[in-house]
Amino acid sequence: MPNVHKDFHGALSFGLKFLEEHYGEEGMREFLEGLAESVYAPLVRDLRTRGLAALRDHWQTVFDIEEGDVAIRMDGDVLVLEVRRCPAISHMQDRGYGIAEHFCEHTRIVNEAVCRAAGYDASVEYDQGTGRCVQRFRRARE
Amino acid sequence: MISCTEFIWVYNELFRFIEERGGEEQLIAFWKGIADEFLWNLREYVEKDGLEGMRRYWSHTLGEEGGRHRMTLYDDMFVIDMHECPSAKLIHESGRVRPFERYCEHCLWLYPPILRELGYEVDYDLLSCERGRCRLTVRKPRARGQHTEHGGGPAVEPGPDSGE
Repeated sequence: MPNVHKDFHGALSFGLKFLEEHYGEEGMREFLEGLAESVYAPLVRDLRTRGLAALRDHWQTVFDIEEGDVAIRMDGDVLVLEVRRCPAISHMQDRGYGIAEHFCEHTRIVNEAVCRAAGYDASVEYDQGTGRCVQRFRRARE
Repeated sequence: MISCTEFIWVYNELFRFIEERGGEEQLIAFWKGIADEFLWNLREYVEKDGLEGMRRYWSHTLGEEGGRHRMTLYDDMFVIDMHECPSAKLIHESGRVRPFERYCEHCLWLYPPILRELGYEVDYDLLSCERGRCRLTVRKPRARGQHTEHGGGPAVEPGPDSGE
């Protein structure tokens, strides 16, 4: 499929490592949080408009395109993503690329920034070594 | 997870962030780092099969990334004419990010240095970043005193993965 160039995951990992080495953890965080206002601005707008259905559709599309293994469900008022095989981690492991020590933190930081901008909360528990994680999203409490 | 389908925009933002924080020197260091870390397979293709290895390498990567281009393989020269680069198009036409004015320069630092290290003469002409137009021309080094009036007809035109 055009535009699915999985080596970009490796380039992102290298980029995160570069940011952390040169500008510290705060620099990496600042860069990733800024993406909510640019790259992910359409998702923020969609989340404000359609609520968690917007995130559900976003993640379903991403994991379909990237052929990851994920279960997406609603648990009460919480959207839960159970990632059983992360396409980014598995691609980098398959290719033998070096994976940034804090690679999976980018998921936490970007998710939180996107959700914060739209009035939602996000959390993630991950195991970078196995490429598994559980992500949760809910409307922020007043 | 940032999807690889979103990474072109992220790349644009990353280049700007690094240049604003660390200046041109760090931006170029970042591009060179990408080449060192990820382009070893280009090096392998070229070491093994020379100009034909280049055609095979870019047939694969440009096939994955899409876009419209023409590859021409002569006996002594390999040329990619990029008419519409998918990355540059996305950056400039999607409206999703403010295009980083030096975005297309990354190719200049990624590919030509490796090919020159392997003994080739390389020209990279950036014709229009906004329109996604550039040309990579790679020539076999000419032996001292050798005179070439023509390089023979193209063996491949266009490349098998050309979007044309």
